[in-house]
Amino acid sequence: MEDTPMGQPPMAEARQIRVNFTTSSPDIQLPEGKTQLLVPADIKRYGLSRVLNSESMLDTPAPIPFDFLIDGTFLRTSLEDYLKTNGLSFESTLTLQYVRSLIPPVYEASF
Amino acid sequence: STHLSEPQLELRDFEESMQQWTSFQSKTHPLSLSLTSQLRLILTPSQSTKLSGSYRTGKRLNIKRIIPYIASSYKRDKIWMRRAIPTKRSYQILLCVDDSKSMGESSSGELALESLVMVSRALTMLEVGQIGVLGFGENTFVAHEFTEPFASHDAGAKVLQKFSFQQDYTDIQLLIRQTIERFRLARLQNTSRGSKSEDLWQLALILSDGLTPSSAHEDIRILLREAMEERIMIVFIIMDDTTTSKKDGDSNKNQSVLTLKKVRFLGNDEIKTEYYLDTFPFQYYLIVHNLEDLPGALAGLLRTWFAEVNA
Ligand SMILES: [Mg+2]
Repeated sequence: MEDTPMGQPPMAEARQIRVNFTTSSPDIQLPEGKTQLLVPADIKRYGLSRVLNSESMLDTPAPIPFDFLIDGTFLRTSLEDYLKTNGLSFESTLTLQYVRSLIPPVYEASF
Repeated sequence: STHLSEPQLELRDFEESMQQWTSFQSKTHPLSLSLTSQLRLILTPSQSTKLSGSYRTGKRLNIKRIIPYIASSYKRDKIWMRRAIPTKRSYQILLCVDDSKSMGESSSGELALESLVMVSRALTMLEVGQIGVLGFGENTFVAHEFTEPFASHDAGAKVLQKFSFQQDYTDIQLLIRQTIERFRLARLQNTSRGSKSEDLWQLALILSDGLTPSSAHEDIRILLREAMEERIMIVFIIMDDTTTSKKDGDSNKNQSVLTLKKVRFLGNDEIKTEYYLDTFPFQYYLIVHNLEDLPGALAGLLRTWFAEVNA
């Protein structure tokens, strides 16, 4: 398809991880059937936040910066590194609890 | 890591596997019977689909013989075609079962093993040929050889013993490559035993949750074309059990692969999601939510395929 921009061959596609988004805030809940997603393994907090805000997910009018909790700890590395550090498998579905980021980093003003 | 060497298999307890086989067998018995009767009609055709030959009487005129017929002053009158008596077909059927972790973390693994018991029992009752079982994940392993009989509980339990859903990767590309190689070899061995190879049909049924890296889909498609050229039919049965979950809480419940999407970051800062199944390379696949769906769905798909092949 034409949607592969130049300099990004399809083989550059990273390994995938299946994630399941949950939240305890009712106002930013994803519709049922949209909570699971295959994401590139090298994705980090910022990428995940962008994904959540995107049109096909929450479709927020103005971007909300999110933080992500896995098993009660904030995600500070890529998902891939998280799996490695915790001895987990790419075969697992990771449950990511998303919360509004309390202290949004400056660069996110340019969303 | 090398993909070709078979890993040392950790076998599950034999008695436990025997119990599992027995309980799956009695649970799926009516379904096996139903599949057997449906497949009997499809796999053992009662008449050849093509008209051929030259006979004095028949079903349809052989146009090529009309001119010689007239030219011979109506003496060469074998101008009719009939449906010839069908040649007996034999089959080699390879059941490929996903042994990766994703199967064990959902209930897809159990559904796959139940399906394996149900389908293998049905095929054994049909007596249409050889049945093999291959496990796959990061590597592939033989769980049952084509040449071994499959009629006993013992053989079945030995197969189940080899599945524990602990493999850390799901390499379907490797599976297809190995399937083609195994079928090539099995065809040769079949021919050397004196069977006519043109009557041999080779069919692989893959039982899996369907998840393999999207980046491999295109390469799989190329291998599938290769398989088709060698008359190897590959059917993918997606185990999509979304009704129960091994983990606690509804939030961990796996969503159906039908609605599962993947994310792509495009160069221009755009984010795109597309359905995972949109790039799924298998032409012949079916999605099974309950075991009860399988006999009808599988029979329907095979019927379609044989109709296409004979057309
Ligand atoms: Mg898997």
